[in-house]
Amino acid sequence: MKIGIFSFAHMHAESYVRCVAGLPGVELLGIADDDAARGAEFARRHGTRFYPSYDALLADKPDGVMICAENARHRPLTELTAAAGVHVLCEKPLATTIADGQAMLDACQRAGVILMTAFPVRFNAPIREVKTLLDKGGLGQVYACNTTNQGTMPGRSRPWFVDKALAGGGAMMDHTVHVADLLRWFLGQEVVEVYAQGNRIIHADTVAVDTGGLLLMTFADGTFASLDCSWSRPLVSQTWGGVTLDLIGERGVVKVDAFRQNVIAHGEHAGKAQNLFWGSDSDGAMVAEFVAAIREGRQPSVTGYDGYKAMEIALAGYRSAETGQPVRLPLA
Amino acid sequence: MPGITDSLRVGIVGAGGMGRIHTTAWQTTPATVVGYRDIRPERAERYAELYGGRAYDSLDALLADVDAVSCTTPTDVHYEIVMAAARAGKHVVCEKPLARTLAQGREMIAACRAAGVKLLVGQVVRFFPEYDRAKRAVDGGMIGQPAMLRFSRCVSQPRLSVDNWFIDPARSGGLILDLMVHDFDFARWVAGEVTRVYAKAVSVTRPQAGVDHALAILTHASGALTHVEGSWAYPPAFATAFEIAGSEGLLTFDAETSAPTKFLRHKPADQTIPEVPLPSNPLLESQYVTEIKAFYQAIVADAPVRVNATDGLAAIQIALAAIESAQTGRPVEIAPVAHEEATQ
Repeated sequence: MKIGIFSFAHMHAESYVRCVAGLPGVELLGIADDDAARGAEFARRHGTRFYPSYDALLADKPDGVMICAENARHRPLTELTAAAGVHVLCEKPLATTIADGQAMLDACQRAGVILMTAFPVRFNAPIREVKTLLDKGGLGQVYACNTTNQGTMPGRSRPWFVDKALAGGGAMMDHTVHVADLLRWFLGQEVVEVYAQGNRIIHADTVAVDTGGLLLMTFADGTFASLDCSWSRPLVSQTWGGVTLDLIGERGVVKVDAFRQNVIAHGEHAGKAQNLFWGSDSDGAMVAEFVAAIREGRQPSVTGYDGYKAMEIALAGYRSAETGQPVRLPLA
Repeated sequence: MPGITDSLRVGIVGAGGMGRIHTTAWQTTPATVVGYRDIRPERAERYAELYGGRAYDSLDALLADVDAVSCTTPTDVHYEIVMAAARAGKHVVCEKPLARTLAQGREMIAACRAAGVKLLVGQVVRFFPEYDRAKRAVDGGMIGQPAMLRFSRCVSQPRLSVDNWFIDPARSGGLILDLMVHDFDFARWVAGEVTRVYAKAVSVTRPQAGVDHALAILTHASGALTHVEGSWAYPPAFATAFEIAGSEGLLTFDAETSAPTKFLRHKPADQTIPEVPLPSNPLLESQYVTEIKAFYQAIVADAPVRVNATDGLAAIQIALAAIESAQTGRPVEIAPVAHEEATQ
């Protein structure tokens, strides 16, 4: 089994490369990147081959490709890969427009290849514990959820994150989809309405996209969930941010903080306080699922459609913030 | 302004849980609590026995004997008590929320202003040291311009053994007016006027509870956004938390992680569930005492106080908008009352 990587625009690519290296029977074919200097540097760092073009990598017949390009470039790269009959694991958000997302679903379906969305939090062990609890009826009917996916503003090291043309938006595009996906998965239902407000107060002097946002989603049965998607963690924070969900149901309350499994380090060498994460490797589990789905000729547990529906919620959030009114889903 | 000689004479109207807290708080000031009035006379008599002073069998009789009253009745009665106090020319400390309706709140403010008496609203969270510390940090510029605010106040349902008016929305306004009003007021204090509210609400502990869990999004005139979670549907606890993210930093507080003492019981059954959950945090002076001391100074020395009657009105305006939004499913626009009311 041979896996390639398209683009190191997204920092997750580094982690995914390491995940592939750790899988038995899987060969990291190489890296293609339209930023040749970046691609060559990461190829050198990870001891793999740099391909001067995406076509060149596809010509070496990978079984699957992981796409870590800028959000707006997911569509052309997915279409290219699918046309070559190669399976796709695409970084989140799946795309930046409904049309692009739909085209990606169509292209992969036509070609008969897997389209998996990179939602590693689905494979996070504390999150899976909550999913198990919910499936066993431990909380009973869920009525409301209070969630966050806050982080530091990522544009300093990756300027495209704050370029609307490439990212599709700001904090709301970046930080809505993970939790939106978890909620759909937890509740087994679709969001039917979204209300959202956004602002640009934090980093207003350096960034042109939204940096703060709140969404309130309503599911088909009336269950509602709020999400704080803000880039509101100071750049000097001891962590990039986090994912938290508080669920209230008929049997009580469940709270989960997906990235709380840390030893805290202080001291002469540690500098400012640092989180030493000791939780399980969710990226590794996600890449393993992509490989397993290819091997077993089945759909992965997280699909392109899941990515599409989560992106749709983010886009509805932007539409609501613009009009000031709740927006019904699905979006046309 | 009624002349106040010697000791300020205070009456307590509503001899329930908050009546007790006000009584003992007033007793830390030079004021004298002269008596109590309650529609259930035995309760007023009980407080007279416990805390001194006498029980009154009518509101008018109490008002005739005092310079000021604490109104610690159920919310729907605030209006008639405050209006009577204003007519009698007596200062009023009124528990939050100021009133059951906006119209009542406006009338109460106008009546007190016309009578030349103080109307002091018990938005006590402004006196909680953790919230006060955060407010001072924001005012000191520590986090720049407030941008994203989050508040959570999750408790078990109030369960008064007699006359549980809290859970009757007609009387208390329900969870959103009774409990979430604290955070609406504080958010407005920190991030300025609120212009738009959207909320969703649900009954978790069905079927008798009415709305007992809600989430609200406030949009401030400054562009700041506030998320408020309020619950009467939590397992026994008083869980409060907040964070204020600004252009230059972040403030966070969580009552659970900052609790300095813990009592781990061998038998969880030994845990008693209070009728009305109140936060517990060891302090040398309770926030209620701090509040009443400030109100005392406002009355006797005309000292500035950190919460005026218009703030109390603005807080219920936000809460009532949230209730309307939760009912209609639409966001509710607000024309802030501060623009129509001069500072009390």
